[in-house]
Amino acid sequence: MLSDIITPDLFAAALRMATPLALAAIGGTICERSGVVNIALEGIMLIGAFFGTATVLATGSPWLGVLVAVLAGVAISAVHAVASVNLRTDQVVSGTAINLLALGLTGFLMELWYGHPGTTQPIPTLQPVFGFGAMGDGFLGEVWRWINGVFLSHTPLVYAAIFIAIGTHWAMYHTKWGLRLRALGEHPRAVDTAGVSVARGRWVAVLMSGALGGLAGANLSIEQVGVFQEGFTNGRGFIALAANIFGRWTPIGSYLASLLFGFADALQIKLQPFRDVIDLPPEFFLMVPYVVTVVVLAGVIGRAVGPAQVGVPYEKG
Amino acid sequence: MPVLELREVTKVFPGVVANDRVSLTLEEREIVALLGENGAGKSTLMNVVYGLLSADHGEILVDGQPVKIRSSRHAIDLGIGMVHQHFMLVEPLTVTENIILGREPGRMGVIDMNAARKKVAEISERYGLRIDPDARISELEVGLQQRVEILKALYQGARVLILDEPTAVLTPQEVRELFAVVRSLVDEGLSVVFITHKLEEVMAVADRIVVMRDGAVVGEVRPSETDEIGLARLMVGRDVVLRIDKQPVKCGETVLDIRDLSVKSDRNLSAVNGVSFTVCGGEIVAIAGVSGNGQTELVEALVGLRRPESGSITLKGNDITRASARSSIEIGVSHIPEDRHRRGLVLTFNLAENLVLGDHRLKPYATRGIMHPREITSMAKKRIADYDIRTPSEKLIASSLSGGNQQKVVVAREIGRNPELLVAAQPTRGLDVGAIEFVHRQIIAERTSGKAVLLISLELEEVLSLADRILVMYEGRIVKEFSAEQADAETLGYFMTGGGGTKLDKGGADLTMTGSGVGA
Repeated sequence: MLSDIITPDLFAAALRMATPLALAAIGGTICERSGVVNIALEGIMLIGAFFGTATVLATGSPWLGVLVAVLAGVAISAVHAVASVNLRTDQVVSGTAINLLALGLTGFLMELWYGHPGTTQPIPTLQPVFGFGAMGDGFLGEVWRWINGVFLSHTPLVYAAIFIAIGTHWAMYHTKWGLRLRALGEHPRAVDTAGVSVARGRWVAVLMSGALGGLAGANLSIEQVGVFQEGFTNGRGFIALAANIFGRWTPIGSYLASLLFGFADALQIKLQPFRDVIDLPPEFFLMVPYVVTVVVLAGVIGRAVGPAQVGVPYEKG
Repeated sequence: MPVLELREVTKVFPGVVANDRVSLTLEEREIVALLGENGAGKSTLMNVVYGLLSADHGEILVDGQPVKIRSSRHAIDLGIGMVHQHFMLVEPLTVTENIILGREPGRMGVIDMNAARKKVAEISERYGLRIDPDARISELEVGLQQRVEILKALYQGARVLILDEPTAVLTPQEVRELFAVVRSLVDEGLSVVFITHKLEEVMAVADRIVVMRDGAVVGEVRPSETDEIGLARLMVGRDVVLRIDKQPVKCGETVLDIRDLSVKSDRNLSAVNGVSFTVCGGEIVAIAGVSGNGQTELVEALVGLRRPESGSITLKGNDITRASARSSIEIGVSHIPEDRHRRGLVLTFNLAENLVLGDHRLKPYATRGIMHPREITSMAKKRIADYDIRTPSEKLIASSLSGGNQQKVVVAREIGRNPELLVAAQPTRGLDVGAIEFVHRQIIAERTSGKAVLLISLELEEVLSLADRILVMYEGRIVKEFSAEQADAETLGYFMTGGGGTKLDKGGADLTMTGSGVGA
């Protein structure tokens, strides 16, 4: 039984499932480091997924769909930036509003454009980057089967997420942008008095998180599922925020935390067939990733301390 | 030609003229002290110079050229640096990262950390401001954090340095070091504006003193032409009593009796170590000591905010060793906390609410859990009048008041409750001479009416002017007791820094020279 569960595709699935979480979580990290809470990631993912899918349906090009998903994420996050940076509203309220707007807007446009609620027609998806077959036999063949299965079987955005995690992490600690970003969420007035615009820094960060949220949505619809379905982000935007916290507000940490949640999700799917053996309802298995999230947030990490001024609007003078 | 000149600068906030046609010059290699009470407009004026606020009228000239300073970046470009009263430092970042923030060396957006570290080392070498460039700000003491602020301004190329109340957060030792730093900066060609409300500081460090009151310049003097009494009069606009006369002590019954008290700190280290003393009615007992020698923990144990490890605290025969904050208030302990923002006030509450805190459950302010706004309002109005709290209304929120008036709110509430024992921890921290005089009068009035007062202060002058008995606390123990007549600043300073028990520390004894808020 164990050898049926512990297979290359369990770990491959973990990487796959981690990808949308990681992209959104890194977006959350960048946003919160700048001092803006982005609870809207869930809605941004949904918007990105919808407009991405709609583009593929209209043009047949998955890559164009990815691009539009990113742009849609940027556009909707601009609303959050105006509200939280310029108008200094409560960022949780603004984020919640965007989440509700995303649900309503995507549902409405489903009806308007496709004449029905629920799920769109299937779309052509992005295909795996490599297509290696089996190689060799015996022990070496087995090793190759694992390497190929776990690491070389993926679609482009799965690899993109890994590069983005490493790249943004490096940038956060080695570039001007990164230094200013880290300072922004801690002590915006210090940034201001050093002659750097707080509003601009926060705008850039919010838009970046929108782009990454949109990319996460594209991964979900254009790479993984191959359709858009109303509300199919299913709380992933919130799990991403949890991953950001678990990852201590760093991109690589966010990625690794997402990997844990992704693994829980993959395991849950693997365990589904065994429910006849242990006689549990399917919902029990579906619950696993969420339970892991709660347990991790409540217990394992202890008290995580985020940027000091996160969620506090900055007022000049 | 002056490096910086202000001509008739006027800044109006809704309802207040913060700066009224202020003119000021700063020559090269000069230290000008900007002296005035809290709220006199000193910081507003300098925020205008630093580009954080824009003036409504008037002119600013840098090196004789008229300039319109639009932003901090612009001010920095013009060679103006500022060390703010509340530090502009990002705590989790390193010293180097903080210094280079906004002007990072490197190319294509990538920071050249080695170049940055080298540049920082070079500047700190040149001005004699030693610091570990890789230390995190949160690990540094306040004095060193301020040093980082100065280095940041120098790194940004400041030729004019504005120091906004730089000594407010420093220990006497650190104040002396700061003065030395300021002098060496001037030797290196900088010009300094030094904002303060402490009289003896301007006498010690300034070349020229510009006094502000109510937003306008009311006088300009050189230290050699004046004394502290004259400066105080100029600053406040009336004669100020720097040392209040009081009747000889008439000790009543013992009110507070502390025996063998031991208290641990937050880090679970022994902070108070077997302390015993008494305070009787009609007496002011002062605990003198350098900050961090157990005073905070002692006070917290006394007022029910921290549980003692061992020993006993008795108030008029009642054991309050393990009393909660609530029962300690009910039994008659009032507490003016050392940090009015953290413990003294709820800054987002209005004055009436702040004035009733602690008594809010009790008659006549509440019955059966329902508060009576009318009673609270009339009490608040009375306290505001009695304690001279300058506010248009009791409905104003506490954060909108100046520091001095905020402290009066705390004093009004704690003394107005009519306690048996008043625990006053640094009751005049950050206040100007006028407000200090007021708070001192209130404390002495408590004593006169036969109440017991325990004063905890870092200011030697305050201890000497108020106390009947002085206990010196060092490393959690009472190392020496003086009666008021026996004590002088020098001896106190000697014991406060571990003298007597250990060998004579000459540097430590020296600190009495700068240890007071109001010289006499």
